[in-house]
Amino acid sequence: MKLQHALGGLEGLETTPVNFEKRVFVEDWEKRIFGIHAAMMGLSDSLRDAGYDMEAAGAAVNTTWTWADLRKGAEAMNPFEYFQFRYYEKWLGGITAYFLQHGYLTADELATTTAKYAQTPTAELPVRPSDSIDDQVIRYLRQGDTPFRGPGEPRFAAGDAVTVGNPPHSDHTRLPGYLRGRDGVIERVWTGSYAYFCSTGPDGLGDQPVPVYVVRFEPQEIWGAAAEPNAGPIYVELYETYLNPPASTEDAA
Amino acid sequence: MSTPFSYPSDREEQSAAQVRALEALLIEKGVITHTTVDKVLGYFESEMTPLNGQKIVARAWVDPDFAALLATDAPAAVAQLDLPDGMAGAEGEHLAAVLNEPGVHNLVICTLCSCFPWPVLGLPPYWYKDPVFRARAAREPRAVLTELGVPLDDDTEVRVWDSSGHSRWFVVPERPAGTEGWTEDQLAALVTTESMIGVALADVPAPV
Repeated sequence: MKLQHALGGLEGLETTPVNFEKRVFVEDWEKRIFGIHAAMMGLSDSLRDAGYDMEAAGAAVNTTWTWADLRKGAEAMNPFEYFQFRYYEKWLGGITAYFLQHGYLTADELATTTAKYAQTPTAELPVRPSDSIDDQVIRYLRQGDTPFRGPGEPRFAAGDAVTVGNPPHSDHTRLPGYLRGRDGVIERVWTGSYAYFCSTGPDGLGDQPVPVYVVRFEPQEIWGAAAEPNAGPIYVELYETYLNPPASTEDAA
Repeated sequence: MSTPFSYPSDREEQSAAQVRALEALLIEKGVITHTTVDKVLGYFESEMTPLNGQKIVARAWVDPDFAALLATDAPAAVAQLDLPDGMAGAEGEHLAAVLNEPGVHNLVICTLCSCFPWPVLGLPPYWYKDPVFRARAAREPRAVLTELGVPLDDDTEVRVWDSSGHSRWFVVPERPAGTEGWTEDQLAALVTTESMIGVALADVPAPV
């Protein structure tokens, strides 16, 4: 299991204040790694399936880069190092590793070029114009990449009781750890079925589009005695993959 | 947050050099251009800003039908407004809104990562991504809200929304008292990013 999947509700932090930093970026360099990430999402090979004309864009990209790739990087980190790095430091590490792993650049040229800019931070970037690349990135930002995949056949209806599954732990998941095995009630059924960026393997998500629900949980059901006095409900959006009929019903069946 | 870790003294300089090198090499190899990153940043600085969310909330305050539609079908409601092209674009493909009301306070979190409604609120501020916030807000939202200065009656129900699916959630805060007859522009100025995620209330109008 991964600590990154079980952050919600982690105990022992009650006296640690929230860092209420309202800035989006705290160092200028953070803007650049955000921009590279957003650009790569807009140039991802997977956008062919969403109807984008990636040939016309003409970027030298032949692999997929989505949120799932960024998340997998963060979830693959040593869990203690995860808390050692600032948000965009984790992005910089994960995105750099991706480009190296997929052969976009070599460790040597990265080291040499990094040393050059460390020596001369004001050195200019190379110039390489291509309106079609920039246009594709902005087109993606404006049009997005919906996971909606047409009609769905939801197994559950609003008001139904459900029990959250306990699938094998996997590299990547969209099931918050604190919900495993917990009972909830369907609050809302979203119309249609929804894909995920990748398969999460034994975790069960992403092999085919599935309905998505908002599920309501009572805090005592999740946290037991550690629930906050006077706590209200917690609502979580969950893929059908992670939901089962109530445990008691299945036992009886 | 206090930190028990020590770091090299040139930590930021090294990161800055590495990201610069990354950008330079990607340009050389034809992945992006020398203007791509600036254009991305320009898009978020000029078009996808919290101003969009402020306008959505202000309309919800003056138009009950709009507010009702926002609660049931946020994308349809948002599409009615004269906002920049891209409200249903990246990280806005499936917007969802929850409305505060007397006795109900909503709080949006993302315990698995940092899901955030970009077209409505721009990019997420650091506090939203703080592991301590993500850990604590799930289990002790009242303590976190009190710490962050949100006044809550004991009988106000706090509802937490954890964004682990395809929707990108935001909160419509309650309209402050004393704003009767205000224009939407005046109302929008009372709406902060923090109030649209639920860690603040809308600003109270300054005494005249």
